[in-house]
Amino acid sequence: MSGVIDVSARIPDRLTFWQRLYLPEIFRGMAVTLRHLVLNVVNPRRMPTIQYPEQKRNYSARFRGKHILKTREDGTLKCVACYMCAQACPAECITIVAGEHPKIAYEKYPVVFDIDMMRCVFCGYCVDACPKDAIWMTRNYEMAFFTREEAVFSIDRLRESKAEIDAHGYGYRPYYPGDGTTPPTDASRLPVVAGSGERDALRQAGVALPNRHVGAGPLNATSQAAKFTA
Amino acid sequence: MTVATEPALSPAAERLRGRLAGTPLAGRCEVADRDLPTIEVSPDAWPSLARFLRDDPECRYDLFVDLFGVDNLRRPGQKSRFETVVHLHALARNEHVRVKIPLPDEKKPALPTASEVYPAADWFEREAFDLYGFDFTGHPNLRRILCHDAFVGHALRKDYAPGQRWFFAEEDMKAPEWATHTDERAGHFETQTISIGPSHPATHGIIHLIARLDGEKIIRAETNIGYLHRCFEKMSETHQWNQIVPYCDRLNYVSAMINGVGFVRTAEKMLGIEVPDRGRLVRTILSEFTRIMDHCVCIGANLVDIGALSNFIYLYQNRENIYDLIEACCGARLTVSYVRVGGLAIDVPDDFVPRCRSLLESIPLFLKDVQKLVDNNRIVRQRLQGTGVVTREQAIAWGLTGPMLRASGVPYDVRRARPYDFYDKFDWDVPISNEGDNFARYLVRIEEIRQSLKIIRQALDILPAKGAVSSDDWRVVLPPKDAVYHDMESLIYHFKLVMEGIRVPPGERYEWIEGGNGELGFHAVSDGRGGPYRLRVRPPCFANMQAFQKMVIGGTVSDAVATLGTLNIIAGELDR
Ligand code: SF4
Ligand code: SF4
Repeated sequence: MSGVIDVSARIPDRLTFWQRLYLPEIFRGMAVTLRHLVLNVVNPRRMPTIQYPEQKRNYSARFRGKHILKTREDGTLKCVACYMCAQACPAECITIVAGEHPKIAYEKYPVVFDIDMMRCVFCGYCVDACPKDAIWMTRNYEMAFFTREEAVFSIDRLRESKAEIDAHGYGYRPYYPGDGTTPPTDASRLPVVAGSGERDALRQAGVALPNRHVGAGPLNATSQAAKFTA
Repeated sequence: MTVATEPALSPAAERLRGRLAGTPLAGRCEVADRDLPTIEVSPDAWPSLARFLRDDPECRYDLFVDLFGVDNLRRPGQKSRFETVVHLHALARNEHVRVKIPLPDEKKPALPTASEVYPAADWFEREAFDLYGFDFTGHPNLRRILCHDAFVGHALRKDYAPGQRWFFAEEDMKAPEWATHTDERAGHFETQTISIGPSHPATHGIIHLIARLDGEKIIRAETNIGYLHRCFEKMSETHQWNQIVPYCDRLNYVSAMINGVGFVRTAEKMLGIEVPDRGRLVRTILSEFTRIMDHCVCIGANLVDIGALSNFIYLYQNRENIYDLIEACCGARLTVSYVRVGGLAIDVPDDFVPRCRSLLESIPLFLKDVQKLVDNNRIVRQRLQGTGVVTREQAIAWGLTGPMLRASGVPYDVRRARPYDFYDKFDWDVPISNEGDNFARYLVRIEEIRQSLKIIRQALDILPAKGAVSSDDWRVVLPPKDAVYHDMESLIYHFKLVMEGIRVPPGERYEWIEGGNGELGFHAVSDGRGGPYRLRVRPPCFANMQAFQKMVIGGTVSDAVATLGTLNIIAGELDR
């Protein structure tokens, strides 16, 4: 704790004669700007300006950019369609439709996994929410599109690809406590064993997949309204 | 057998009860002790209570902080469906008080205005009228403020379904009555009414000033706001506690970190959980860096408005460097979403302390350059000195807080008045000025940057090198990821927390901190669900902006531009 200081008392209320002459102060100011100019010319690396797009900013390994869906060693998605990321998402921009895989012993997999990039606020809550280490973010922030439809990224654009990681690198991912930089490894990285296929039979016996939810345009307002009716 | 005794009142509540006892108000209001001393009063007695609270020599609640509505439709067991809640502050004793006014008439909720007693109540009452439909009888200008004039219904009522979409036309907007006709008086130029904004480079956001000019002097003005209204409070009611953090970033987007800290503090206090020291210190350090950015943006933009560009670039370089640090911590520059209820999203990177220290070295260099350019420059002095003057009395009456209030000579800083986190452990000064003009506000902000640097330096010294940044209460904070992957119990906690949200015990609470431009408070009402029942943010910009239309009277248009710059209006917070 300490006191209170009066900042106006420290600086004279009226300018001195020389200061009122204006020009001396102008030259003093020019000395400041000139110093910056000279230093920048002598050492261009000092300049903070980034010549985008020729030059790109170096973001940290925690950068929250475009999402990727991680894969197991056999190339299938780690995601088990548990809907936790969709529930955690404050922007309600993840649409998942779960399916029962006929071949593998895992209970579910995502038939549809869409992220509406126009709604996404890149908060990383989906990454924090995933219990399967299935969704990470990359440092890719160049996602411009021309139509609203293109803004909805489906599994083919979200699936992890080596080319994308080589170009941009991993961004925000589940961090272990401690040094916080160790990329997580977990059991779901391994290929899964083949199942008997009996769920497939169950499905054919009439368990229908839910229809893909189509909201009222990009604002998806009806989902909100339905939850909290009058 | 035990005898139920009434719990002892806090000294503040005791004093209130004692002072009220001898007055005619005694039978009409009740004093209780909640998180704040709370007075419950009937609507008809409210203006006289307001006058009493302001004028009584032992109460003197002189600063009007906040006024808002609550709709108890889905909260059974309350006295009435609608209630108005008012927060007042006594500058002499640094005490808050809450006044609750239950409105008995559910069909036509009405209460008398307090804007004669507290001029600052004006816009807050308009907001409650707009969003709840409360009729403030006697209010001089009761019309919508955040929603469009053609909006039907009252958006924050619980029976108004969120997510409805409206289309509005500009023609449906109402200009104030006085602006619709010319005013020709003998001996005058013909006065003319002009519009500054909504999209004007000097308004830094979308703000609309309608001004009547006599020659070059502004003789009457009114501000229209609400162009950036995004229903923050309504959306909070449909989201979980943690999901509101990204929304908070977008309130005052120049100081995103501070908003998040302010919000989670309310939830943490309601839950009664403790954040580890390391987490709180990291929050403090980043909040102070954010405050520096906020002041840099304000000063830089203000100087650009009056024609000095280099300062803007030098100050923004600080901001750039601070953003790099913040991005390394949380992965985003502007919309940080770094805090969580109970701590932080992740620990800071290993090189956090050295990076902070190098920023502490570089920021003062840029400040020095700016001061060399500005302090004794005659043009700057003439533009800023003596313009936009707010006297001490006016500042208090208009409910200003933050650098605005301090530049008018009132040393009210929440970090000092009600120290939270570690602010009472640090050695720092509250800069004030008695001038109250634009130049004083510039000087106060520059000095506050230096004081923030001082605070950061001390916080870095006591920052524990290792340790948790979040609480380990897994009902509130997500368990560590390796435990979630391998351990069933952790997975269950994780699942419950993500799917249901944090179960905050029912009740209500107001917590306030020092934001970038004033007292930033969050009042939350919980009904035990995973999200708040009602979340009210006390936006400092709102009160500051309210004063603007009075501050510009008598000045020129160019003075108005300089004044708007020193107000540091962030439309995201103003309009919410
Ligand atoms: S980053 Fe945030 S907004 Fe985007 S999909 Fe994930 S949770 Fe939703
Ligand atoms: S939380 Fe993970 S596993 Fe669950 S649906 Fe989302 S990405 Fe898939």
